[in-house]
Amino acid sequence: MRRITGRASLRVLTRVGVAVAAVSLAAACTSNTPENEGNDSENNGQANAASSNDDPGETVVIGFSGPEADHGWLAAINSAAEAEAEKYSDIDLRVAEGTNDPSQQISHIETFINEGVDAIVLLPTDGAALTEIATEAMEAGIPVVNVDREFSSEFAARTTILGDNYGMGVSAGTYACGLIEENNLGSDAVVAEIAGIDSLPLTQDRSQGFKDALAACGADVDHRVAAEFTVESGEAVASNLLQAVREIDIIWNHDDDQGIGVKAAFDNANRDEFFFIGGAGSANAMRWIQEGEMEATILYPPTQAADGIRLARLLAQDKGMSDLVQVEVPRRIVLNAPVVNADNVEEYLPLGFES
Amino acid sequence: MSAQTKTGVPEGGGEAAKNAGGMAAPADRAGEPRDGSRRSGPLAGLMSGSAGHLLGLVIALLLLCLIGLVTAGDRFADFDNMMTILRLASVIGVISVGMTFVITGGGIDLSVGAIVALASVWATTLATQTMGADIHWIVMVTTALLVGAGCGLVNGVLIAYGKMAPFIATLAMLAAARGLAEIISDKKTQVVTERGLVDFFGGEVLGIPVLVIVFALVAAGAWVLLNRTAFGRRTLAVGGNPEAARLAGINVKRHTAILYVLLGVACGIAAVLLLARTTAGTSTHGGLYELEAIAAVVIGGTLLSGGRGTIVGTVFGVLIFTTLTNVFTLNNLDTSTQAVAKGAIIVAAVLLQQRVAARNGTGG
Amino acid sequence: MRGIVKQFPGVRALDGIDLEVTAGEVHCLLGQNGAGKSTLIKTLSGAHQPDAGQIHWQGEEVRLPNPQAALHHGIATIYQELDLVDGLTVAENIYLGHERTRWGLTARADAATSAAALLHRLGHPEMSPAKEVGRLSAAGKQIVSMARALSHDARLIVMDEPSAVLDQEEVGRLFGVIRELAAQGIAIVYISHRLEEIREIGDRITVLKDGRTVATGLDVADTPTPDIIRLMTGRSIDYVFPERGAVPDPATAPVLEVSGLTRRKEFTDISFAVRPGEIVGLAGLVGSGRSEILETVYGARRASAGTVRVEGRELPPGRVGAAMAAGIGFCPEERKSQALLLHDPVYRNISLASLARFTRRGFLDADGERNAAAEHTRALDVRPTGVERAVNTLSGGNQQKVVLARWLLRGCKVLLLDEPTRGVDVGARSEIYTLIRDLAAQGIAVVMVSSEIEEVIGLADRVLVVSDGRIVSDGPADEIDEHGVLDLVMEGDVA
Repeated sequence: MRRITGRASLRVLTRVGVAVAAVSLAAACTSNTPENEGNDSENNGQANAASSNDDPGETVVIGFSGPEADHGWLAAINSAAEAEAEKYSDIDLRVAEGTNDPSQQISHIETFINEGVDAIVLLPTDGAALTEIATEAMEAGIPVVNVDREFSSEFAARTTILGDNYGMGVSAGTYACGLIEENNLGSDAVVAEIAGIDSLPLTQDRSQGFKDALAACGADVDHRVAAEFTVESGEAVASNLLQAVREIDIIWNHDDDQGIGVKAAFDNANRDEFFFIGGAGSANAMRWIQEGEMEATILYPPTQAADGIRLARLLAQDKGMSDLVQVEVPRRIVLNAPVVNADNVEEYLPLGFES
Repeated sequence: MSAQTKTGVPEGGGEAAKNAGGMAAPADRAGEPRDGSRRSGPLAGLMSGSAGHLLGLVIALLLLCLIGLVTAGDRFADFDNMMTILRLASVIGVISVGMTFVITGGGIDLSVGAIVALASVWATTLATQTMGADIHWIVMVTTALLVGAGCGLVNGVLIAYGKMAPFIATLAMLAAARGLAEIISDKKTQVVTERGLVDFFGGEVLGIPVLVIVFALVAAGAWVLLNRTAFGRRTLAVGGNPEAARLAGINVKRHTAILYVLLGVACGIAAVLLLARTTAGTSTHGGLYELEAIAAVVIGGTLLSGGRGTIVGTVFGVLIFTTLTNVFTLNNLDTSTQAVAKGAIIVAAVLLQQRVAARNGTGG
Repeated sequence: MRGIVKQFPGVRALDGIDLEVTAGEVHCLLGQNGAGKSTLIKTLSGAHQPDAGQIHWQGEEVRLPNPQAALHHGIATIYQELDLVDGLTVAENIYLGHERTRWGLTARADAATSAAALLHRLGHPEMSPAKEVGRLSAAGKQIVSMARALSHDARLIVMDEPSAVLDQEEVGRLFGVIRELAAQGIAIVYISHRLEEIREIGDRITVLKDGRTVATGLDVADTPTPDIIRLMTGRSIDYVFPERGAVPDPATAPVLEVSGLTRRKEFTDISFAVRPGEIVGLAGLVGSGRSEILETVYGARRASAGTVRVEGRELPPGRVGAAMAAGIGFCPEERKSQALLLHDPVYRNISLASLARFTRRGFLDADGERNAAAEHTRALDVRPTGVERAVNTLSGGNQQKVVLARWLLRGCKVLLLDEPTRGVDVGARSEIYTLIRDLAAQGIAVVMVSSEIEEVIGLADRVLVVSDGRIVSDGPADEIDEHGVLDLVMEGDVA
């Protein structure tokens, strides 16, 4: 509890900065959703403008807990969620301090259960570790919306919203296959992969998808290194990678945040003989695409938690998704992982998060 | 029974007895035992650690290089690759050199990574960068150095005058500095727009990266400071026996505080190098630097309890880690295997250190 | 023990030692520092392994690969640097390593009871087993160490200079305990520098010199003291204290003036003055405040009232730097923990207080340091020679000379010496006495503190008797004798 209020007072301190970022991001999300065909939930929410779903209902208390926002994408996730909640007068959002410690996050959820919130939106630090407490919440009658990192039990969440990590890898791999074909690189094309934190399932999923998609065109990952989602680690592993392989055709970097460091390493070594594909879709990466410094990036939408908030509100108010015939909110929503390249970057740039 | 079971020294009169057990050193200067198993005078002065230990480090590094040569051949031996290793060693190297002073002086600093993050963020705020663009990018460098020195001063004052345990005071700084970095940056990555800084520090002089030159200058300066000045000697005294140092007229508190400021400045330098390397300042910079730096320092042969320190050893410690990562990447091996190897090296190095110390140790 | 040889790199520390101890005797082990006493007892306690020779224990040859093995056989050692853990209680220290347990848990009450019994047996029933050892006096810690030895059912107890940190009354009590233990059939190996003690407590003597046995099994009663000294030093010492020089002219202005110096709970209203060339001795018991007075004059402790003046100029309180700048030098009581960088070479220990002088354009002139240090070690006859040698390889007396050299190198007008001969053997002692005399003759004002009353009387020109934090007597040394001082000390204690 104290932690939660502490977080609130800290927010006052940084309000100016957060507010500016949040507003611009929120504007980006809403104004672009009509064109964003890949994002079903957003479509749905917008379409609901015509329905009664956005009208204020009874006030619901929603608890939100996510990992520490020590990373651009996560920061965007959190601020988008908070901005979304502010748009609804009938949402009373409780934000637990972000943490990377599962046991601390468990105690946050316990606090939410004790407070008797109406719904919980949870982006777990570790899906498996938070399954138990999420199940408890469900048993206590509180619907849990699981975001991004999946629980290990079906009973732990009412609804799960996932970015598609495997799909991200597939998109990157398929795009790479396209490049190989277009440029007649053949099946012995040198493909390198710069992964994120290797122990996370999401990293493993992305790598698996990449590998599977490459196999479809007879290519494989020749060199793979893992960074830690930080600029610095990106620079360090990329520097070593460039020394290890003198001629590279395609590099896929999982994460545009660490991509800043990866790009710095490329520039330091004066290497640009390869196609550079990114991941997540930061505004930086999109600008590089505009400038021709980068081939493409695979989008991993930072709006999942915001969607989670909306869904939690619908769940708590016993509403369904009005675009669906089904009267209940679906069990599982998997977001698409589209490729952003020079052809469509103008369209996606406003959705890119500032890392 | 008076039979001498094993003795090479003849049973003799007063003359012989006077020399036996004691030293028959030929000159004042020597003072080493005759069998020469201990470090020799001039060499010891140069290395300021045990030569045997340093030899162990050199062998370890050569062994790594040999593995690199055998497994990766030209790709390892390539000049560019050597420079890559040194470039990657430069940031953590500068910090480890600073850490050597603090540990030699009997302290420890867990906040170096957080200070690097804060300095990198502060140096790349919109305000600093605008000022940098208006005046000169040197403003950003100065900012980073001042932030580092300021954090070091807070650490030093809390420890020396506030009588806090170094572990606790710097742990507090670790949390606070990273938190402040997050607040200032709003947890965003701040890209360096002022190309002058990146071009200067990211550039080369006579084919050698400026980062490497900065690291070399810092290491050389630190070596002189530790081994050739009264300041260095006092650092050894303060770390070895603070009470004796105090009673010999050394202002132990002020000296301790200065050591932390020095390390803070090293963190500032490291932050600038990191800005040039990554072209960005962020609160995630410097993750786990404290452990990497302490590991490099200890492997290098500096006593964790203070009183004995070696800059050359620290530089070798850093190079061993950086080369290890490089060799692993050249061979396309994963990071988990790398972590296991790092752990094994730490253990092996410390065991070696103890063995050498035992062999060179003083009897009775 | 027969033909024990122990080799260290470059040093043959033991070169054929024979020692025979029988049950129920107090066997004194004598020898100058560096003669091999410490190494010998470490071999006996299992801390060192002999390179040659045998150890027979109760008729059988034994090997003592580690201290546990020695304890198992019933050989317990009480080291000079007491190896107690300050943060633990008396009982916990006594049973350290062989804790009383019941069902895997420490049996605290049981340990306390048996600890109390042991303390009672040692004649200190007043000590509480629950007290933290860090709060005990040196004498108290000694008793705890002995209780620990007894707790192992020791048949042989080795005591390394047990009296060094005790005052006379405590030594008397210690001897009572030793006699009691010997009467119970326990063998004692007793190491001390104080010959008069050995006369009092010892049955037989073994003398070591340069790692060899020069005499063993001598009957104490039949061996005159000068013979023992001759055996130890290889030369005869006719006098211990050097002749006094000319008494400084009373008209000379004092260089050090202390007036009304007070530190709450330690000492009150201390005033005295020292002229150039004069040696003033502070006599008093441990805890009388004498060491604290010296440290306060030096600025290492901050006075709560009173002033210290050097050549008429008042020193700021609690500032060592200012005291040094004014020309005060200080050799502290605990050489190893307060004065020396034990693992550093001799020359660095000597130059430590004078580094500024060897700094040229910001750089240290190490050769200059070495040369200056070598000059002073030569002048003070520090042995073995060699300024690169780590200072912990020197004997106590030579370490003390290194500390003195530090201040001679720096040059000082006032020299404060706290227990200058603690842990220094007889031969080296007289060298140190002569040295101190010579320094005074050169015009340095010396203030010395010593637990040994005869040392104060023999060396000082003027004796101040400190008791209970006050100066109870101030007069020329030749007008007072040992009994006089003792009376004053006691009197002050009572008052």
